[in-house]
Amino acid sequence: MRRAAISSRPATRAAVGVGLAATLIIALVALPLLGMAPNRLAAAVPSYRSGAIGTVVRFVMGFGAIGLFILAVSRQRMSAAVALLSLWAALVMLVVGLGDGARDLAAGRPAATRVSLASGAWLAMLLLASGIGWAIQVCRLRRLGAVVALVAAACLAAAGKGALFDHLSIAIELQARRGEVTTAILQHLALAGSALGLGLVLAVMLSSWSRGQALVGAVAGGIQVVPAVALLGALVALTSSLLTAVPALREMGLSALGPGPAIVGIAAYLLLPLWRGLATGLRTADGAVIDAAKALGLSHAQILLQVRLPLGSPLLIGALRVAAVQSLSLATLCALVGAGGLGRIVFDGMAQFAPDLILLGALPIIGLSLCAETLLGSIEARARAWCPA
Amino acid sequence: MSGRGHALGFALAGAALACLSHPDIAAAIVAALGEPPRKPVGLQRLSRLAGDHLLLALAGLAIVAVLGVGIGILATRTGSVPIRRSIDSLAAFAQAIPPVVVVALALPVLGFGGPPTLLALVAYGIMPVLRGTVGALESVPADAREAGHAIGLSGAQLMLQVELPLAAPGILETLRTALILAIATVAVGALAGASTLGTPIIAGLQNQAVLPLMQGTCATAALAFLCDGLMLGLADLVRRRAATRP
Repeated sequence: MRRAAISSRPATRAAVGVGLAATLIIALVALPLLGMAPNRLAAAVPSYRSGAIGTVVRFVMGFGAIGLFILAVSRQRMSAAVALLSLWAALVMLVVGLGDGARDLAAGRPAATRVSLASGAWLAMLLLASGIGWAIQVCRLRRLGAVVALVAAACLAAAGKGALFDHLSIAIELQARRGEVTTAILQHLALAGSALGLGLVLAVMLSSWSRGQALVGAVAGGIQVVPAVALLGALVALTSSLLTAVPALREMGLSALGPGPAIVGIAAYLLLPLWRGLATGLRTADGAVIDAAKALGLSHAQILLQVRLPLGSPLLIGALRVAAVQSLSLATLCALVGAGGLGRIVFDGMAQFAPDLILLGALPIIGLSLCAETLLGSIEARARAWCPA
Repeated sequence: MSGRGHALGFALAGAALACLSHPDIAAAIVAALGEPPRKPVGLQRLSRLAGDHLLLALAGLAIVAVLGVGIGILATRTGSVPIRRSIDSLAAFAQAIPPVVVVALALPVLGFGGPPTLLALVAYGIMPVLRGTVGALESVPADAREAGHAIGLSGAQLMLQVELPLAAPGILETLRTALILAIATVAVGALAGASTLGTPIIAGLQNQAVLPLMQGTCATAALAFLCDGLMLGLADLVRRRAATRP
């Protein structure tokens, strides 16, 4: 059906590789790497390649560009491994250089001085990290990605312990709020997890109501159209009016603000992906397979557990993945209705106009979502390989 | 349900919600529920907020549509399957970052108001549109393409006269999703100080004022339903015209 010879593939790859390398060099040359402010709320004055960081940047550019060029021209596993090492070296040098650079900038200034990472540093780290991800893909080694991620996390933790980042603003902010951040992460997971659980229970119940499927589909689809801020607001308004009308409920511990409406709100959005996943997943097994199972004398429950669920598992896990990522993402907004979670740190940061505080909330949210996406994505891929739908 | 029925249902739901957000009606309902009386958001201010909301969402949609559909067309020109897969995984990763977080991260860089919201709109909306466009263009049957080649159409003619018309319903469907996403993101933008229908919601939540909260909620949902109904109706029209094309 498709043209067999895909002539432009290498050209596309080369364009992407060269483009990334060029962007990396621009980020390191033209954008500020660090910014310095007299205190944590003042606007930062950008700092380019001054002091210790100037020499490091040249090496970062060299190693980074070499790694990306290798990826641009070759798809060999060995050369991808070389590219991986080169990019890794560039990333390590960049991070160490930024830590050192921050110390240099802060030296001899008042204790309230804050040195923060600026746009060039973030962009360069992002580009190097995506280059590493690309190299890992080309290497085609099982679990290489997980190993690299773990090594990176361990290195970051060790560097943090070793006082490398002590002069970077975000590390100082984290130091001051370590307990708060940990609590917020746990709250966030609890919110997203309970919403996912509630959504699953509702989806299973609704998909077993065979007569009302059209109605369920229309309602679940309609909910998707309502903006999340509006749905959360509506839930708070409803609960609040209900509490005014029936004050006895307040004594039972119900309140208009808090995790209650937040969990219900998130679960409402998860209904569509979960319900649709269940419906299509359980329909994967075709009629002949079901007939064969019946002929073997399997009961209705056995058919469900031994035939329908395994055959539909890739679709079911896929739906779960979409719902989990959505749940983690929506849990951020729930800080608006007083449910806590990482969103509260983000909103605090917005209220104070403190960029590092915003990052402190935002980075764990992105990390959690990406973890859920990759983890469930790899389980989904395995299920698909195990029983192709 | 037929496409037209669906569109009509959503439009009616939107109209009903819009009525509920009217200051007098909302005030009467809230008073009937026994909430303490508060000053409602006036009709003039509400319609101005709705106008700003729609303008920001449409501006975002326009950028997203041009970039997403444009890159989608370019990406399918190379005729390579693996591009589709990388776009899919890139889209999944981009989707993992919630729009609130993009708004929050853009705030220190772009300041209060519309710009951070617009950036979040573009950042969040572009990958789904790109993915949908590529999907729609790839679903164009190879026969149609080959027939176009056979009658001597050039690459650009093939694109404009064969592929785009056949892919139009799919592309329109993605743009509908993008518009709904844009309206939701703009509502969140109220947190960054953009003047949108999210503003009375946020204010209502902060001051525990049910009346503006309800008005903002109903008006935002009404806008989303009305836009969705309109896009569904448009998609239905395009599909019908495509079906009756000789």
